[in-house]
Amino acid sequence: MRKTWLVALTEYSNAVRSKAFITGVLALPVLICLSVGLQYFGQKNVDIRERRFAVVDRTGVLFPVIAAKAAERNEKFVTQRGADGRSVQTSPKFLPELFDPAGTGGGNADVVLSERVRREELTGFVIINTNALSADGGAEDGMSWFTQTHTYSELPDWLERTINEEIRRMRFEKAGLDQALVRKLTRNVPIKRLGLSKVDAATGRVVKAKEMNRFATFAVPAGCVFLLYMMVMSATPVLLNTVLEEKMQKISEVLLSAVTPFQLMMGKLLGATMVSFTLSALYLGCISGMLWKMGVLNLVPPTLIPWFVFFQLLSLLIFGSIFLAIGSVCSEIRDAQSFMFPVMMLVMLPFFVFMPIMQSPGSSFARWFSLFPPATPMLLLLRIAIPPGPPWWEIALGVALTTLFMFGCVWAGAKIFRIGILAQGQAPSFGKLLAWIFSK
Amino acid sequence: MSSESNTGARSLAVKLANVTKTFGRHTAVNDLSLAVPAGSVYGFIGPNGSGKTTTLRMILHIFHPDHGEIEVLGERSTRAANDRIGYLPEERGLYKKMTVRRVLAYYAALKGMNSRDAREAIGHWLAKLGLEQWANHKVEALSKGMAQKIQFISAVIANPQLLILDEPFTGLDPVNLEVLRSAILEQRRQGATVIFSTHDMTMAEQMCDFVFMIYKGRKVLDGTLAAIQSSYGADTVRLRVEGGAEALRGMEGVQIVRDLNQCQEVRCAGDPQDLLKTLAARTRVHLFEAARPSLHDIFIRIAAPAPGEASHA
Repeated sequence: MRKTWLVALTEYSNAVRSKAFITGVLALPVLICLSVGLQYFGQKNVDIRERRFAVVDRTGVLFPVIAAKAAERNEKFVTQRGADGRSVQTSPKFLPELFDPAGTGGGNADVVLSERVRREELTGFVIINTNALSADGGAEDGMSWFTQTHTYSELPDWLERTINEEIRRMRFEKAGLDQALVRKLTRNVPIKRLGLSKVDAATGRVVKAKEMNRFATFAVPAGCVFLLYMMVMSATPVLLNTVLEEKMQKISEVLLSAVTPFQLMMGKLLGATMVSFTLSALYLGCISGMLWKMGVLNLVPPTLIPWFVFFQLLSLLIFGSIFLAIGSVCSEIRDAQSFMFPVMMLVMLPFFVFMPIMQSPGSSFARWFSLFPPATPMLLLLRIAIPPGPPWWEIALGVALTTLFMFGCVWAGAKIFRIGILAQGQAPSFGKLLAWIFSK
Repeated sequence: MSSESNTGARSLAVKLANVTKTFGRHTAVNDLSLAVPAGSVYGFIGPNGSGKTTTLRMILHIFHPDHGEIEVLGERSTRAANDRIGYLPEERGLYKKMTVRRVLAYYAALKGMNSRDAREAIGHWLAKLGLEQWANHKVEALSKGMAQKIQFISAVIANPQLLILDEPFTGLDPVNLEVLRSAILEQRRQGATVIFSTHDMTMAEQMCDFVFMIYKGRKVLDGTLAAIQSSYGADTVRLRVEGGAEALRGMEGVQIVRDLNQCQEVRCAGDPQDLLKTLAARTRVHLFEAARPSLHDIFIRIAAPAPGEASHA
């Protein structure tokens, strides 16, 4: 045990002194800051060039409304008052122009206007068909938006909203209905999302249900799974590289003259586990501090932390021993890639089924996937983090199966590692690896 | 010819009894028995792929034999003695990103040394091999010769009773070679048993008390150099004649073993005095020395490929 511990401490010390660790510690906060910063920068640096567009109004009545609404928008909503009291333009102005197809000299309107769009005189043009006002629709129903920059959606969205509001108003007016009354009658009724009420056993009083918080129901479970994934990925694939490097540089031979292959493997696994727990302690500490500062720390159930730590340990031992075994059987990084693919699929599996399980954590789909041992740590943690959590027997079964699977992975990994670490030449086939696992 | 007969009552550092090791269908070591006396310098020679490294790894219990028994420093078929063994592998294995001091401290700790003793030993050895100023540099900053000396220190740092050196002199310049050789011999003087494998026959002749040769997994030589040379007869003559090797060609009963340009080594079938008379009649003889066959000569006699057979090297 002393030698295993010595290997673990050296691995840990090497890892935390490396640039990769410092990069790993800073990666998440830097990514978050970059993402927030770039979004803020993007919002502050909107393209405010005028958006000129043509309207082919076959109804003959909608263009004046479009022009009026655009003018109103340009006046009221395009500029905002900044912190220093000055007006700042935050959105582009929309400048409509009526296009009369009769003026094309017999040419096709959409072809003529398309040319103008290509020459960048216009952002695009809209054709409003004759029957757009009709409540019954018909052959010439609807509108069409033509542009060469379909990724820009603010203008067509505004057009669709504005024209439809006007068309609805016209239809109600034609039907003789009062607009104010229509608005009243069609008012949306909001729905409150609440938890469950209960009777306090001590006082016998009813405790009213609390309003559910989006942060608690979505951000906490998703954040837990994402953090667990980060912790596993930051510590386990590195094991493959270190073993491969030691094998290529013949360091493993020196080490094996002093320790057994099992001591070496367990030392490395323990070292990686310590690195990962150091990272998670740093992250959890910082995140808790941030949440406390934001006043939402109480929305994180305290029982989640021990579950997180437990599932992190299981994941590290499972994937760590798999990556160590792969590293030991390869003689160059190219060999390792063919083994990496199926393992990465297993690591990524929880993300493929993440959304359906978030939507319906009690479904049989969620149950069976969260009982599949390689995915259990992340998916069972996800289900535990979503109130009210899975039944106790599912948690117990998941924990038991995954613990057994973990022992199986460590055992098989050690058998492969023992032979692979001194093997030279081409990497063995999967069949040969199986033979190594069951060899004496 | 076996060393066992020469060791008498001396205790053995290593004893292999009928050891066989196979890898798949390939038999790397075949029914090998060996007795390495404590306190001796024991040379392992043999062509590439003959089973030297496999034998060394079995002594270290990195590999386990399929058959036979291995006893090292009194421990039979266990790794219990490994902390008393220092090992220098054929290819150097040092962590490039670690400093010299850390890597040595790590290897010392793996051999069971406490940190205070390790610190002292590191200082002592670095000073002895002229590397003190490199103690806090990363291994990647060292030259090949310096790295080799650090690797040697890692093998001897814990005062091993058995020192196993696989090709310790490969790639060293003459100055570093001498430094390492004297360090190895000092270990022996302090009581350590030294086993080293080498392709340098001159080095083996100069340093080894016993020489063991393995060929195609089997032991083909084992004993003191004098005993081995005696068993190969006194038919070797070292000579220098006018006309060089050309003057010797076609002489009946004479086989040129080595043409060293300035002199030649030949093996003569008959009496060397007859050869001298014949040569004197043919050309001027500057040097004529009846000698025992060198280890190099013996090695070639055993391991040279037969006509039409590919070389092992």
